[in-house]
Amino acid sequence: MPDIAQDAFNQFSAALAERVAAARGLVAGIRMRGHSPRSGTLWRKDVVVASEQALPDVVEAEVTLADGGVFPARVAGRDPGTNVAALRLDGTPEPAPQPAAEPLPGALVLALAANGSDGVAARLGAVHSVGPVWHSRAGGRIDRRIALDIRLDRYEEGGPVIDPAGGLLGISTLGPRRRVLVIPAATVERVLNPLLTTGRVARGWLGAAVQPVLVPDALHSAAGQPLGLMVIGITKDGPAAQAGVLMGDILVAVDGAGVGSPSQLAELLGPEAVSRQVQLRLVRAGNILVLAATVGARPAR
Amino acid sequence: MSAAPQSSAASLRLRVAVVAIESARIKRLAMLVAAAGHEVAAFGQAADAVLTDGRAEALGAPVVAMGAVEGEFAGFLPEEAGPAQVDAALRAVAAGLTVGPLERRKDGFWALPEASAPLLTPREVEVLAALADGLSNKAAARRLGISPHTVKFHTEQLFRKLGANCRTEAVAKGFRKQIVEF
Repeated sequence: MPDIAQDAFNQFSAALAERVAAARGLVAGIRMRGHSPRSGTLWRKDVVVASEQALPDVVEAEVTLADGGVFPARVAGRDPGTNVAALRLDGTPEPAPQPAAEPLPGALVLALAANGSDGVAARLGAVHSVGPVWHSRAGGRIDRRIALDIRLDRYEEGGPVIDPAGGLLGISTLGPRRRVLVIPAATVERVLNPLLTTGRVARGWLGAAVQPVLVPDALHSAAGQPLGLMVIGITKDGPAAQAGVLMGDILVAVDGAGVGSPSQLAELLGPEAVSRQVQLRLVRAGNILVLAATVGARPAR
Repeated sequence: MSAAPQSSAASLRLRVAVVAIESARIKRLAMLVAAAGHEVAAFGQAADAVLTDGRAEALGAPVVAMGAVEGEFAGFLPEEAGPAQVDAALRAVAAGLTVGPLERRKDGFWALPEASAPLLTPREVEVLAALADGLSNKAAARRLGISPHTVKFHTEQLFRKLGANCRTEAVAKGFRKQIVEF
């Protein structure tokens, strides 16, 4: 008769519960008047991060740490680009998360969240896929594309995702069709200081709506590439308008770097691009045209 | 098409229970129910549907919540919804459907669209924009300074590339994910 109490399955289960217990200090429940509770992650002393898209448009909140303690909190900043919101608290302990190992497809992770009544909810699943840097529709740059094979309830979004060694991979985020993504710790770190000091993350802005198009065959060599971004909307008095960009122009390069897809343009319009002088290379009426523009800052939502 | 007789569903008066905590809210919701052409159910009376400000518990009839964005409700309406929307939502939930404002469907954190096939040519984008503005082939031709025959050619190309069967579908598919603002 094998010893069931000590077999691998039992040990595995006990180890999971131990990991959850060890990481529960990171789990924050966020309560707001008139809204159902959400989850967050105690990221630094006195700072909780949450999912921006899940956080109602409020200023005041109350944070309950799973390890104990209720703190009044203020939403200090929101970045729809990376889906990170920062809340400022006073008097929390210093969290001590381990850095996560490189995520690998198939590796197990735990997605933790506040369970709505001061405790911890945990989900176990595999890393579904890991991809390179990507850009969100709101223009944010996210260091890795990490998708999980886990389902999350809406209120669980924004909690910590923990790797098998207990390392903090990042915060959970609901993507298209409720697939669960991870906003990596490096991305959260990168946007957190601007969020806490200015309330937002500045991003480059041209004031143009674009759509990827095929560059006409005859202009491939002049344009330097087969794809471009056709301007189909221009914000009045925005940077593109001031530079003389017209509807129908096809943007093919910025400062010599080809832009054949929205993400290539997003890559060139990060926070560092604000106020920068750039050369826009355009196809207009069958000719190549270069216009000088000053990149603006993307207006707040 | 022959003129359809007045549909019985469209003229159906529903009996609607109103649930809210403050009496001012109850009054406002009741006025909306009346303005939508329905009857407010008396307390304890059976109802076809329930209109609430988001605090309804199980009531035995499908619930439309105003101002709520989450919860186990059949219908969601924005706080500022008018009688026409309230009417549509109550009828829908009474008929066993779910209702929500369009923006709820935008949920989820999306990546930028990639420049994926089938990409349109600049001319096709212009024709698509003309279709989106509701222009006829003739009017589109005038706007773009090309012949109606050429517009027709581009329209067919658009249908083929986008897998669309009609102009509306082409516009919906062509513009859905491709446009990005920078």
